[in-house]
Amino acid sequence: MEKIEFFDANVFIGRPHNGMFGAVNNSEGLFEEMDKQGISRAIVWHIFQYEGSPVEGNRILAEEISKSDRFYGCWTILPPQTQEIITEDFFKQMKENKIVCLNVFPDWHRFVMDAVTFGDFFQQISERNIPLFLTMGRSCISWDSLYRLMRDFPRLTCVLCDIGIWGVDRYTWPLLEKFENFYLESSQLSLEEGGVEATVKRFGSERIIFGTGFPVRYPKASILQLVHADISQQDKINIASKNLERILKKEKL
Amino acid sequence: MNSLWGKFLENGRVKECPVYDMHAHMGSFNRIYLPFGDFNPEITKSRLERAGIKMLIFCSHWTLFSPDIGNRANIEVVRQLPDKLRAYCGLNPNYPEIIEKDVEDFEKYRDVFVGFKLLSDYHQKPVSHENYSPAWKYADKKGLIVLLHTWGGSQFDGPEQVRIVAEKYPGAKILMGHSCHGAWDETIQLMKDFPNVYAELCAVVDDRGGLEQIMDACGSKQIVFGTDWPWFNHHYYIGAVIDSGISDQDAHNIFHRNAEKLLEGLI
Repeated sequence: MEKIEFFDANVFIGRPHNGMFGAVNNSEGLFEEMDKQGISRAIVWHIFQYEGSPVEGNRILAEEISKSDRFYGCWTILPPQTQEIITEDFFKQMKENKIVCLNVFPDWHRFVMDAVTFGDFFQQISERNIPLFLTMGRSCISWDSLYRLMRDFPRLTCVLCDIGIWGVDRYTWPLLEKFENFYLESSQLSLEEGGVEATVKRFGSERIIFGTGFPVRYPKASILQLVHADISQQDKINIASKNLERILKKEKL
Repeated sequence: MNSLWGKFLENGRVKECPVYDMHAHMGSFNRIYLPFGDFNPEITKSRLERAGIKMLIFCSHWTLFSPDIGNRANIEVVRQLPDKLRAYCGLNPNYPEIIEKDVEDFEKYRDVFVGFKLLSDYHQKPVSHENYSPAWKYADKKGLIVLLHTWGGSQFDGPEQVRIVAEKYPGAKILMGHSCHGAWDETIQLMKDFPNVYAELCAVVDDRGGLEQIMDACGSKQIVFGTDWPWFNHHYYIGAVIDSGISDQDAHNIFHRNAEKLLEGLI
């Protein structure tokens, strides 16, 4: 039986300004945690990208992830019009810095995430298959704005993270049904009793991406849930790492 | 490293460490899709056995949200799966006449009930409200378990309210469902002040830090495991509890020993 390898899609480093239990301040700390948990690779972002400066946070992240080939980066974007982050050589910069996906915090960083702001850019990342990671966990987007985004950019590769404590199948299943490049990160889907099984049964295991939500959440929680989920071994392997690998292989930077 | 982790990881359950879920529900619910919400004895049994849940103590959503259905939703379910299930007799303070009747009938259903369940944030009356008093007095006299929904900052079931009932009814075994979520300092103080007050872990382990703080201050002897099942997944919560860094002995206390003591003479 093929072993389950865990590739964590939802991890941040850096200590939040108001403090947080167990946050790690650098890649060495994360490395240690991943070894403890048996997680082989991770897509990482830095909390300063959200809390402080996306520009400086992106720079710190690139420096931290350069220390190990087990880490890949997720940069935060801002509206292209201000040219703070999205510049002419942006995709080249991504490639040079091992950045494989992007995230966005529109309400917190005070802009509107729609076709007016991101029309050309979101077309480009749709064509390049660059995943956009969105979080429901930091008061950054509403379900309405997410639905609008997917309607405007139906080919966009979108990974919805931190979906919430209460199950949100009534919100997410229409998106999974309608948009083939829409995915769910698992750290809170695993929390829902039967959430992973029901989603796999309805949409297949290809639409779920493993994540722990570390340091906010306990990695062993989503690991134990997935290992003992009532789905096939191949489904578990897909969720744990293969789906994310497949998405990243399609990427054109 | 907790030695139970490897065993749970390998088998999903550990024979020498059964798990008691002291905070659960049953039945579909308006605000959320619950894949295992509808009760089916075979499916429920199978879900519980996957994670080594020896017993699950619940109160039906339908009892808590419909006075017209009331506690028959609990009675009917427990009697279909008596080896695995017990219930809390659900109380709605907006219908005091039903509470009086349920207390009066409690002995008829000793095969079903181990105590009472209060959901005061939703019913909008404090846990110390006089409409609950027949049940509190009965629980105090008989040493029953009373599971409260508690939340930090709530005027209905926050720490101040828990303190009032803990002082007044020392014979009742009070489980702070969700451990007065977020108000961990007050939770700890309540546990220190009252040996009959227990922290219950549902929603506590959704994030790291709360359980660690409670454990550091109080140890594991006044903590019980709960999940709001069928809302939350047993393996997820078992993994979270172990990942908090607790010892094997603490894990045994939280997963089963404390619950076994609480349920002594009640099941």
